[in-house]
Parts: sequence; structure tokens; C-alpha cells
Amino acid sequence: MAGIFDFAPAIVLLPFLSFLIALGTALSGRDLLPKGGAIPGIAATAGSLVLSIAMAAAVAGGEVYDETIYAWAAGSVPGSEGLELTFGVLIDPLSTMMLVIVTLVALLVHVFSLGYMNDDGETGLPRYYAGLGLFTASMLGFVVADNLLMAFMFFELVGLCSYLLIGFHFREPGPPSAAKKAFLVTRFGDYFFLVGVVAVFATFGTAQFVGTEAAPGFPVLAEQALAGEFTANTFLGLGPQAWFTVVGLLVLGGVIGKSAQFPLHTWLPDAMEGPTPVSALIHAATMVAAGVYLVARMYGFYAVSPTALGVIALVGGFTALFAGTMGIVKRELKQVLAYSTISQYGYMMLALGAGGYVAATFHLLTHAFFKALLFLGAGSVILAMHHNENMWDMGGLKDKMPVTYYSFLAGSLALAGIFPFAGFWSKDEILYYSLTHGLAGQPLLLLGYVFGLLAVPVTAFYTFRMVFLTFHGDARTEEAESPESVRWNVKGPLAVLGVLATVAGAVNLAPVRVLTGAHVDFLHAWLDGGFSDLTVHHYAEIDPYSSAYIGTELTTVLLGAAVSLGLALTGLALAYKLYAVPTPVEHTDKLGSVKDLLYDNYYQDEYQVYLANRVVLPVARAADTFDQGVVDGAVNAVSSVSLFSGSRIRRIQTGVVSNYAALVTLGLTALLVVFGVLGGWLL
Amino acid sequence: MVPPQYYLLLAAAVFCIGVFGLLTRRNALLFLMSVELMLNAANINLVAFSYYWGNVTGQTFGLFTMALAAAEVAIGIGIILVLYRNFNEIDVTEATTMRW
Repeated sequence: MAGIFDFAPAIVLLPFLSFLIALGTALSGRDLLPKGGAIPGIAATAGSLVLSIAMAAAVAGGEVYDETIYAWAAGSVPGSEGLELTFGVLIDPLSTMMLVIVTLVALLVHVFSLGYMNDDGETGLPRYYAGLGLFTASMLGFVVADNLLMAFMFFELVGLCSYLLIGFHFREPGPPSAAKKAFLVTRFGDYFFLVGVVAVFATFGTAQFVGTEAAPGFPVLAEQALAGEFTANTFLGLGPQAWFTVVGLLVLGGVIGKSAQFPLHTWLPDAMEGPTPVSALIHAATMVAAGVYLVARMYGFYAVSPTALGVIALVGGFTALFAGTMGIVKRELKQVLAYSTISQYGYMMLALGAGGYVAATFHLLTHAFFKALLFLGAGSVILAMHHNENMWDMGGLKDKMPVTYYSFLAGSLALAGIFPFAGFWSKDEILYYSLTHGLAGQPLLLLGYVFGLLAVPVTAFYTFRMVFLTFHGDARTEEAESPESVRWNVKGPLAVLGVLATVAGAVNLAPVRVLTGAHVDFLHAWLDGGFSDLTVHHYAEIDPYSSAYIGTELTTVLLGAAVSLGLALTGLALAYKLYAVPTPVEHTDKLGSVKDLLYDNYYQDEYQVYLANRVVLPVARAADTFDQGVVDGAVNAVSSVSLFSGSRIRRIQTGVVSNYAALVTLGLTALLVVFGVLGGWLL
Repeated sequence: MVPPQYYLLLAAAVFCIGVFGLLTRRNALLFLMSVELMLNAANINLVAFSYYWGNVTGQTFGLFTMALAAAEVAIGIGIILVLYRNFNEIDVTEATTMRW
């Protein structure tokens, strides 16, 4: 049947094509394309966006799609029969939602790049657009992946592209080092992910997310294994429950690396060395979102493991608060945004761990819009400020760049979680789930809730400190006095995202449903469709949580919303009081040594470098010695026997023909004698 | 009819003369001649046994061997020419560059 889903691979291939075109241009070294190769990228992402929306429309009509496109390896070794490694496409409500987000943000970032990179006279643009194209293609490939191994491969490609793009200005000292750090830190997490992928194959014999009725995907198999209907191979002498937890935590390693969760978050603030549109793409829609999306994708697998869920919730909640506190003291615009990104992804992890599958995807959606908006807004400011990112050199930009200001303000209100902007609804739902599920006898979730709640005023404070320092008060430098004007290609994406950041919350007004009974939680209904094993109510059945309320459901909703909104407004008010003055001063200096601690990121980098130098390096050295001495030693000993005997025996090769003749004659004589003796007619 | 032992003894003597020449001479042409002697010793054996058994197959093989010997000489002479060109002599013990 030729349907719209036959075009699903094109969503991935279009940006890949734009990558190839831009790469060809970059390699030719000539100016073959207008705009440095931006046009194919814009066309490709626009095409992907249209296709994604078409997919979403088809999924809304109740259709889903899971097809293997290409099997590139099949088991032929004994014991691996039936094992197939494939590329496939999975189109269901979750992946179409993500496809629309990724393609939309990628398109806007491409357009924005016209203003940020082209108009600014950057060189090496084909290389830049090649990177963007490949980045988009890898992320889309990751989103539509229908099995864990394919997801892993595209996950790695995303990491590679982030390396290429963060290190775009490779002639300066900062970006290459930041790129290497991003690559290595995420790779450390991916190492566990890879082990986890192999473990999933070894345990279930398949890594399909959905599979078919006859051969279900691994989340369903895990569920059946716990119900005793399926025998999974477990290792290390663990029972299925404990082993699934181990596998889940292994895969979680990759998630923590990519989604920049504590303790592998250190790469993300450094990644701000990349061009600002790249930062928007990395932090809003692609790389960082990949981790959270992966957990959501295989949520059925995590849902059967309470321990893994608890770890996810705790790591997420802690990261939300931990990263937020560092954002308070930063001086650079993009640094504040970087820590807010870590913090917001912490919220999503908290939601996933707390059984709030919808809440997490909802926050992923709203965050993609408002964080892309904030980064592009920051890009606009940085452009106007001639690449000065220090907020203390800004001020008073409000009247000079109104489009940027109002869209940035919308994004900030969303980030701070102020009613009725998008971030309020999603963050509120996250806190709601962790509270109600936590009250039902889950102390870990309550702890996560406390972390999340404490992070709310912190978020509001640093967000509005940033807004007030940048846009309000008096201009503090000449650049801020007369900022460079930006064009439509900067303002356009900002306006689109500004609207989305304001209204995107409307897709899931869960509290309103509780209040009025009207079915306005569209995202919930959306994610409840598709494959029956991947629906929200199925997850709710298999996860270990139940809900408890303070009073009734209604009072809990209202109380939770009131508390988080109140805290957010407190943070906002404090920022207003301290920084919304003509000439603000660094109030954070009053924190004394605490400020140094925060400014130096709790010395996270220092201890990780210390670990690398003092622990990993000696261990690696010892391993190297063992390898050189024992493993290579044994091989070399064997070969030295051959070498020695060869060096002796080769001496009979004298080059004198007479000697050869003599040897042949001797050999013949010896042969005759042997035959004679054995034949019995000699001696 | 001459008994075959005589032929065999003759062939062995010729062969030994050939081997002796091969081991003691240094001139490449003499090498070639010694090899011819050894080949002909084998030929004598073939013909003698053929005669003894009353079967001409052996004699046919003798003819083949002669053709082979002719070919071998042609190649051998060629090799000796090249040897002379490269080393200005045909003493086989001097041409020792093909060694370890």
C-alpha cells in the first residue's frame, strides 16, 4: 500500500542530501552556491517539516507505522539465529511529535543562520551548513529509529556533529577544546549505552522498540518476563527484575551524557563556544533532547524497574536544582542559558522517573520552543553587541531591539514558569506527578519534588536577572548604546518561536481538565494513541506508582500550581528588585565564597580532571604495561623463535651454484640410502 | 642379447661422471655438459628397459627426453650469455649476488 508513510525515510534523507550538497561545495573550495549553501538546508528542513506534519496528520487519523527498511546483518553464528540488525522506521505519536519539533527548530535555525553567520561575514559557510544538515539528519534518524541499535548509531552521529559544529571556529583556542570535551564526556556515557545495547540483544534477542504480535519488542518482552510468560537470558546470577534494572541503568549512562545530567553535565556550558544558532539547535531540539527522548521511547522498559525510575527521578531532580544555582552567578548571556538547559532537562528526567511520561514529553515540547527562542534571542543580542556576551556590558537594549526584547521576554516567562506561558503548564505537570506519586509512599520522588520545587524560584531569579541586565536599565557600554540592527532573518524565527513559547502550553491544559472536566489535555490523548504497548495508560498500568492527593485531586492541582507559581513570582520579584534598576551592581558578590563556588561550577571540572589524571591515567598506564609486557611479550616470544631459526638457516643460501648442486646430490644420496635401508637390500 | 645389468652399469658410470663434473667444475659450459651426461644416462636406462621388456614406450620417452635436453641447452646457453654479460666471465662461483 503506497501511503504517506512510504515517504517517512525522506524526512531523514532530505537533510542528509543538503549535507552532501554543502559538503561537495565545501570540498570544491569555490563559491558554487549562493548564501554559502544555506538554501539547500532551508529547503530540505522545510521539506522535512512538511512531511513530518503530514505524518502527524496521518497518525492523528489513527495510523501508525513500523517497518524494517534494511537488514544489514543477520545471525549466522550458532546461538545467534534469528538475530537481525536492521534499520527501520517507527512512526507513532511520540516520534511524530518529536519530528515536528526537530524539523521546525532546525528550519528556524537555518533561517536564523542566514542572519547570524552570512550577514556577519563568516567564512567556511559551506562547512557550517554541511554540519547543520548532518546534525539535523542524524537527529531525525535517531527519532524515527525503530530499534535500540539504530538509535545508538544515530546517537553517536549526533555526538560527532556536535563536535564538528562546536569546534566550527577551530582557529581560536576555545572552541576546539570545548568540542573535544563535549565529544569525550558524552562518549564516556555512550560507552555504558553501548554495553546496554549489547545487553539488550543478549537478554531479549531483539532490540525492537515495538516489534510485532509474534515477535514483540524488548519493552514488552521485559514485561512478559516479569510476568513469567517469557524467559529472558539474565547474567551475573541476577533475577530478571535486578538484571533489567542493570540494563536500564547502563542505557541511562548514555542518556546522562547526552542530556547533560549530573555528573556528566560539564560539557554543555563549554559547548557555548560554538556559534549561537548551533547552541540553539543542540540545546533545544537535538543533541540534549536525544537523551530524554530515548528514555521516553523505551519507557515501557524503564517502567517495569522501580529502581531505575527512582534513579532517573533523583538524578533529574538534583540536576534541576544543582545546575540552576550555578546559573545565578554567571556573567555571560549564553552561560546562563546553558545552565538553564541542564536544569530544564533535569526536570524532564524527574518527570520520567516520577511516572510523568506525558509531563516529560510535554516539557520537551515546550522547552524546545522557548529554549530555541532564548538562544536565538541571545544570538540576536550577541550580533547586535558585536559578539560581546557579557551581560554587564549590556543594558537598555529594550527600546533598541523591540522584537528581540518581546520574544525574549516571552521565552523567559516560559522558562521561569509564569502563568500562562508554555513553561508554566509543563513544569507544573512535572511537579504535580512527582508530588502525587511521591505522596503515595515514594520518598525518593518526594525528594525529587523538593529539589524541583526549590529550583523554581532559582530558575525565575536567574532568568530575570538575565533579562533585566540585558535589556533594562542604562546602556553600560558603547556597543549597547548603539547596537547593530538585525534583519528579517533574525526577527522572523524569533517571532515564530515567541508565539509558540506563549501558546504551546495550550496543547496540554491538564489542570484545566481537572477544574472544568473539559477534555483539553490534547497531548495526553495524542500520546495515548498508536501502538497499544506504547500508550500512556499502558505505561500507567505497568509503572510502580499510584497517586495520593492532599485533600482531593482538585485541591492538589490548585495547591501545587499555586506553590510553584508563587515561588516563581518570588524569584522574579527578587530579580526585579535587585537588577531592574538603571545601574545594577553585582549583588551576588554578597554571597562571598559561595559565589566563587558557584562561579567555578562546584569545582566539577577540577575533580573530573583530577580523576582523569590521578586515577584513570595510572590505571591506563598499568594496562598499557600489561599489554606491552605480557600480551605482546608472549606474541613476541613466539615470533622471536622463528626469527632466530630463520637467521641461522638462511646461511645455507650462499649464492654459489656448486653448493646447491652438492646439497642436491647429498640429498639424493641420503634418499637412496634411506630407501635402501628401509627396503632391506642395503646392509 | 646383452643382459640389462651392463646397460645399467654403463648408465650409472655416465651419471657419476656427470655428477662429478657438476660438483668439481666452475665453468658454466662444463656444467651444461655434465647435465647433458646425466640426462643421457637416464636415457640409456629408459631405452635399455624398453628393449628388455620388449615395449617401445620407454624408447618414445627417450625421444621426449632428447627434445627436453635440447630445450634445456637452449635456455642454459641463454643464461650463460647473460651471466657473461653481467659478470664478464662464466665462472659460476663468482656470481653469488643471489644470496641472503
